[in-house]
Amino acid sequence: MAKVERQKVLLRVNREEHELLIYPHRTLAEVLRDDLNLTGTKQSCGEGACGTCTVLLDGLPVRSCILLAADAEGKEVTTIEGLAEPGGLHPVQEAFVEHFAIQCGFCTPGMILTAKALLDKNPHPTYEEIRHAISGNVCRCTGYAKIVEAIKAASEMAR
Amino acid sequence: MGLPPFHYLAPQTLKQALEILSQHKRKVRIVAGGTDILDRLRKRLINPTYVMSLRRLSDLTGIKKRKNELVISARTTVREIAEHPSIAEHFKSVAQAAASVAAPPIQNVATIGGNLLQNSRCLFYNQSELVRNAAPMCINQGGEVCLAVKGSTRCFSVYQGDLAPSLIAFNAMAVLQKAGGKRSVPVSELFSGNGRSPLSIENDELLTEIILPIPRGLCGSSYQKLRLRTSLDYPLASSSVFLSLSRKGVIEQARVVIGAAGPAPVLVEKASASLTGKEPDQVEIEQAAELAFQAAQSANNLALPGAYRKKMVRVFARRAIEAALSDLEKAGA
Repeated sequence: MAKVERQKVLLRVNREEHELLIYPHRTLAEVLRDDLNLTGTKQSCGEGACGTCTVLLDGLPVRSCILLAADAEGKEVTTIEGLAEPGGLHPVQEAFVEHFAIQCGFCTPGMILTAKALLDKNPHPTYEEIRHAISGNVCRCTGYAKIVEAIKAASEMAR
Repeated sequence: MGLPPFHYLAPQTLKQALEILSQHKRKVRIVAGGTDILDRLRKRLINPTYVMSLRRLSDLTGIKKRKNELVISARTTVREIAEHPSIAEHFKSVAQAAASVAAPPIQNVATIGGNLLQNSRCLFYNQSELVRNAAPMCINQGGEVCLAVKGSTRCFSVYQGDLAPSLIAFNAMAVLQKAGGKRSVPVSELFSGNGRSPLSIENDELLTEIILPIPRGLCGSSYQKLRLRTSLDYPLASSSVFLSLSRKGVIEQARVVIGAAGPAPVLVEKASASLTGKEPDQVEIEQAAELAFQAAQSANNLALPGAYRKKMVRVFARRAIEAALSDLEKAGA
């Protein structure tokens, strides 16, 4: 096949514009981690099954390992690094720490972003709604109970 | 492992997109949501020269009501379909199917067009190159043997789309466009029934719309899906049923569709006919489910044994019929 050229891609990540020159076959997860050094976004299964690579695209959780970086152009990308405010952690992050919802930490960025998107849309979810929202994020350590508790607590904090 | 290199094209208009397809034909692959195709690229199941993204074609999104039908543009996300009030009102089993696709973050980007036109799957084929290289090449990879059904010279891969069975049960039409042409076909005719090339769509055609005729009178529908976990998984067997009631209180139209039970979703004519003109009792429901069971293929090529999945087609067809009947009762009450 003909030689593939790098392309200019404009990405807006955590409220900052980035002009990148990248090969078009690169995924958003790869570009976030390798080009922008935002390694809070994890990569694991590479097929969209585990949820560790979750980022927010215009506020909605998506899998960055099965999304071309070029296809994220024109959208607002939020990674875990973009969540904390200058004054401190985001309430969901606080709640995860408070409620021991982190063990190895690998699923945590994806879980927290998914939870944030849920609470933005539905500030006071039921346990059922929380479980449904994180049903695409796999955690092999906690058994999910602490995570669900943390999200519930974050929603109570906002009350 | 990263994706293989390709040229990336992102046309601004539908016309440009159709021209790209007619120029490059089978050398180009289409990315809408990308949730299925990126995995296939990563596993080197496909290796296109060009990848065409539909992201700039904003005309291809949205759900519109037009006379007695609902028109869903091909790039509409599965999430929008799961949550749209008109779909919930008129096409319950379509909303149920959309809500059962993979997991919420995938529904946020996966599209109806991509979900419909996904390729069939097999435990031996949908694997990384490393795993595939550990076994002889199967028919689908250009080899001579089927690894799932020993001795077979045909491919038994399974179509595992969630939306197709419900769309077929509601008599949906698909609009396919190409440079200088346009045709509409029933969604059921998008599938060839051949495991190696399961989709009946030309390589210069683009699916642009799905048209759902709004059924009249009292009707009920249900989509039932077997999977290992209640999230993430593809269906391992499924059934979607549509029923409508005549003024006399008998079933006027019945459509029983089964999915994940062969290379194409199947409208089981015998099962549908067995319910028509009746007020089906439990025995007649069981009979219809038995006919659905008989139409299912059984091969050991997914996460559960073929014989078990085939038996579960009977169970899920029965549940879908019962749920659609209970809709009718509620609507009539």
